Amino acid sequence: MNEHPIIEAIDVHKRYGAFHALKGVTARFYPGEVTAILGPSGSGKSTFLRMLNRLEKHDAGQIFIDGIELNDDPKHLAAIRREVGMVFQNFNLFTHLTVLRNVALAPMRIRKVARKAAETRAMALLERVGLADHAHKYPIQLSGGQQQRVAIARALAMDPKVLLFDEPTSALDPEMVNEVLTVMRELAHTGITMLVVTHEMGFAREVADRVLFFDQGSILEDTTPDRFFNDPAHERARAFLAQVKHGF
Amino acid sequence: MDWIRHHPGAAIFTALIGLLIFLWGMAIPLSYAPEPIGPAAELFAEGTRVTVGLTVVSGLAGLVLGVLVGLGNLSPIKPIRWFCAFYVWVLRGTPLLLQILFVWLVLPTLLPAQWSLSDFTLAAIALSLNIGAYNSECVRAGILAVPHGQIEAAKALGFSPFQTFWDIVLPQSMRIALPALANNLASLVKDSSLAYAISVVELTMVGYRIQAESYQPIPVFLTVGAIYLILTTAFTTMTNAIEQMLDVGRKR
Repeated sequence: MNEHPIIEAIDVHKRYGAFHALKGVTARFYPGEVTAILGPSGSGKSTFLRMLNRLEKHDAGQIFIDGIELNDDPKHLAAIRREVGMVFQNFNLFTHLTVLRNVALAPMRIRKVARKAAETRAMALLERVGLADHAHKYPIQLSGGQQQRVAIARALAMDPKVLLFDEPTSALDPEMVNEVLTVMRELAHTGITMLVVTHEMGFAREVADRVLFFDQGSILEDTTPDRFFNDPAHERARAFLAQVKHGF
Repeated sequence: MDWIRHHPGAAIFTALIGLLIFLWGMAIPLSYAPEPIGPAAELFAEGTRVTVGLTVVSGLAGLVLGVLVGLGNLSPIKPIRWFCAFYVWVLRGTPLLLQILFVWLVLPTLLPAQWSLSDFTLAAIALSLNIGAYNSECVRAGILAVPHGQIEAAKALGFSPFQTFWDIVLPQSMRIALPALANNLASLVKDSSLAYAISVVELTMVGYRIQAESYQPIPVFLTVGAIYLILTTAFTTMTNAIEQMLDVGRKR
C-alpha cells in the first residue's frame, strides 16, 4: 500500500510487574481497514487496543496515530483522543445522563459544538443505530444490546477516524449480539478504520479485511480472514480455532 | 414516602414552605398553650429560628468544605493530602463541644480586634469545620465509588481531567454520597444545640432557661423535643426528595 498508515506501532512493550504482557508488537493499520484482533485471553490483544488511545501506557517502543506520536504530551493526547473513538465491553455509558446527552456531550465539551447542533446530530446518529425512540431514556432503562448501540453512536459523534472495539459483544446475552454486529457491519462499509478485539469468529471471517492473531504478547499471525480460518500457519492458531469452533 | 418519590419537586417546595410558616408562625398557636409554654411562645420561636439558622449556614459551609477536603484527600499532591487527612483526623477525633469552646475562646484572639465576630458566627464556624470533616469522608467515598469505566469512557472521548471530574465524576459521586450527607445534616440540626455552651440562645438554651424559671422541665423539654422532631422531619423530607431527583439514572 502506498498510503500512510493511520496507526503505526513499533516494537511496543508492556509489563505488569513481572508479567510481560506485550513483547515487542509492531503493526501498521491503514485508513478504511477493518481488522479483527483474535487470540486467547491473556494474549495481550485488549492491552494492545487500549494502548492505542493511552488507557494503558506502553513501556517501550513508539506509537503514531495519524502521524502524531502518542506520549505524555497533553496536546498530543487530546489530538489523538479526538481522532480515536472507543467502544467498551461493558458499554460504560454515563449512567446519570440521558441517551441523547450521552451522545451529545463530548462534541459540546471537546469540539465546542452548540447544544442544539450537537443534539440534532446526536438524534441523527441514534436514528442510524435504530434508537431514536429511546433518546430521552436513561442507560439503565435499555437492554445491553441497545446500550452498546448507544455507545457506538456516542463514539461516532466525535467523528473519529479510527474506532476501537474492545470485545463489544462479550457482555451481551446471545440474542442481543446480532443487533450490535449489524451496526458494526454497516460501519465497516463507511470507510472508517476499525480495530475489533472479538471472539465473534463469524464477524471476523465475514467483515474483517485482516486478522491479527495474538498469542503470549506477540502477533503470531497477520493475514487475511480467509487464510487464517482455512489455513493458519501456526500450530497455536490451529489449536485456538479448534477450541472456538466448538462454539459454532 | 411514596408521595416524595413520585413528586420530589413538590415535596421540597412543601417542606420548605412548611418550615418557613412554622418558623415565623409557630408563636401564634403556641401562645395559647398553658403555663409555662404560652407566655414564652415568642422565645421558643426565636430559639428555633436561631437553631435553623445555625443548621443552614453550617450545613452549606460544611458541604463546600466537605467537597474541597474530600477532593484534597484524593489529590496527587502529598502535602495537600496530608493537610486534609490531618484536618479530618483532628475534627473527628475530638469532642464537638471542645471544638466549639476552642473556636469561641481562641479564634477572636487570632483575628484583628475590630472584626469582633458574634457568638452565632463563632458557633457556625465551629459547626461548619466539624461537619465539613464528616462530609469530606462521604464525598471521598462517593468519588471512589464511581466505576472506573465511567472515567475511562470520558478519557477515551477526549475529556480533560477537569471536564471528566466536573461532568462525570462529581454528579455521580454526589448521588452516591447524598444519603450519608443527609445523615450528617440531620445530626447537625441536633448538634447545633451545643452552641448553648457559648451562650448562643438557640432552641435548647431557650428550653433550659424557661424550665429554670418555671421549675417545670417536663412540658418545656417535651415542647423543645417536639420542635426538633418537626425540624428534622422537614430537613429529611427535603434531602429524601433531592435524593429522588438525583437518582433518575438508577430507576427502572
